[in-house]
Amino acid sequence: MKRYDLLTPEGTRDQLFDECIAKRTIQEKLRKIFTAYGYSEVITPGLEFYEVFNGKVHYFPSETMYKLVDGKNRLMVLRPDNTMPIARLAATRLRAEKLPLKLYCNQSIFMVNPKNSGRDDEFTQVDIEILGGESKAADYEALSLAAQSLFAVDEDFRLEIGESGIFRTVVDDLNLPEEKAELIHTLIENKNYPALNEALEGISCSAAEAVKALPSLFGESEVFEAAEKYMYSKELRTKLNTLRETYDALCSMGYSGKIKVDLGLAHKKDYYTGILFRGYVEGYGLPVLSGGRYDTLLGDFGRNSTAVGFAVNVEAAAKVLLKSVHEPLTKPVDVLVFSMSGCETLGLAHCAELIGEGLTVFNSLSATEEEAAEYAKQHGIRRMDVVGANSAVTVKEV
Amino acid sequence: MKNKTIRIALTKGRLENKTVDLLDKIGYDVSELRDKGRRLILNIPGEDIEVVLAKAADVITYVEHGVCDIGVVGKDTIMEHGGKFFEISDLGFGRCKFALAGKKGNNFYEGYGIKTIATKYPEVTRAFFENKGMDIDIVKIEGSVELAPLVGLADAIVDIVETGTTLKENGLEVWEDVAPISARLIVNTVSMKLKQQRIAEIVKQIEENL
Repeated sequence: MKRYDLLTPEGTRDQLFDECIAKRTIQEKLRKIFTAYGYSEVITPGLEFYEVFNGKVHYFPSETMYKLVDGKNRLMVLRPDNTMPIARLAATRLRAEKLPLKLYCNQSIFMVNPKNSGRDDEFTQVDIEILGGESKAADYEALSLAAQSLFAVDEDFRLEIGESGIFRTVVDDLNLPEEKAELIHTLIENKNYPALNEALEGISCSAAEAVKALPSLFGESEVFEAAEKYMYSKELRTKLNTLRETYDALCSMGYSGKIKVDLGLAHKKDYYTGILFRGYVEGYGLPVLSGGRYDTLLGDFGRNSTAVGFAVNVEAAAKVLLKSVHEPLTKPVDVLVFSMSGCETLGLAHCAELIGEGLTVFNSLSATEEEAAEYAKQHGIRRMDVVGANSAVTVKEV
Repeated sequence: MKNKTIRIALTKGRLENKTVDLLDKIGYDVSELRDKGRRLILNIPGEDIEVVLAKAADVITYVEHGVCDIGVVGKDTIMEHGGKFFEISDLGFGRCKFALAGKKGNNFYEGYGIKTIATKYPEVTRAFFENKGMDIDIVKIEGSVELAPLVGLADAIVDIVETGTTLKENGLEVWEDVAPISARLIVNTVSMKLKQQRIAEIVKQIEENL
């Protein structure tokens, strides 16, 4: 029989030393940004009822969620997302709180990835969510924080914005049966130009022209001019103009050259209703940050409020950070403290003293001084303090 | 890999030759690609392009993970493996189709018994019959699928059909087309944004020389 007691499940792993440091570094950088802007942390349970994620609209395909049952045989899931629990929270324990609310959370999420895909089934995500508030101001704040978060991961980042309202309106105007509309969404999302042209064959109207053009409308400011001729209604023109204003606002905030736009940014099934954004850094094949405006999600839980937010994939960011540094992140401690036999408590007291001076110590557990010196050498510890009777300390260079 | 090098993954075999011809036509120096020996990573001299040769399904994996920016792979593999990438161009070559086939003269949809389908492409088969709302049993076969209905393992097969000669010689016939197939150009979603200009240039060159 296979020894499962020695394995971690596929998609999960033990993280050691440098990996932990990289991950904590990212989390700490992000936490600093968010707390500086007055965001309050919340922690939601890792286990939630299935219905939280599978309520009015099924944003999460059932097969991508880890499920189990509680003591009463009710179906539970390991949280596949941080936004929906926060929407639930806003409608329940926070219902009396005045809006706007600025929240952040830093916790693991779980999803079932296809077998052998090499993707993490468990990973940490840092999210911010702005509930309520004036939409434009909230969008700008979220985008500014997204840019700062990406900067913390890699200075050479790209932040891309899009507007889910544009493709939704255009696809709705085609008046297609639901199945076909879903197919069109997928094809736009995958920039599958040939299939998109095929799917729209025989339909000639301005909406069809716009749908065909959307996935290729990505890049920088030139996109807005190229897109104008496809915006056939006042509503669409307004949406495009708002996006352009947002783009210019971000450039004026000092991110010029790092901001991109993609009018084909779309998800087949998601809760976004307005602006969408994604963050990219070199060295990771998927976006490290994604978010957007979701004005109807809180309503699904019984509290009508606008909202905008984003999530940073901490594991991805940590991987990028680890690739960019060339020396180990784990630093040796400053002093190895070896206590002679019978002087163990004196040794510990000496450790505390050194720590009080701002040094880091490793209290040696070796039997002999030679063994302790050997350990120090192996671990790159440069100084060894030998503590003897009456707290006599001999300082030695290793 | 240098930061801005574009790495292209090619499907080994039939599609590889056609893709190399295409790169040749564009005007790239493909001498290394034609005379590759056992090397797996090849250079196009004078260009910021590196070519990787891989099995079809691996092309998708490499592109999905972003270690290759662009891939050339058959629609059959895309349909079977899925994945997250941009599928931006139909290259038009490697054309064939997925088809449902069985013993000549039999009626597949007859009777209420659950049908058994033998195939190398269980996902394609599952999706096809799911759309029909039909329960079936799928048997995965690794080699010549045509054998399965002949020896009585399956009622039908779902397989790639090019000319139909193998089917005919074994007394089988195509009952229904499942989907057309041809080579596709796929691009990693992040590369598309971070290396937009260079990728757009290469894609344009490729499309102009089809």
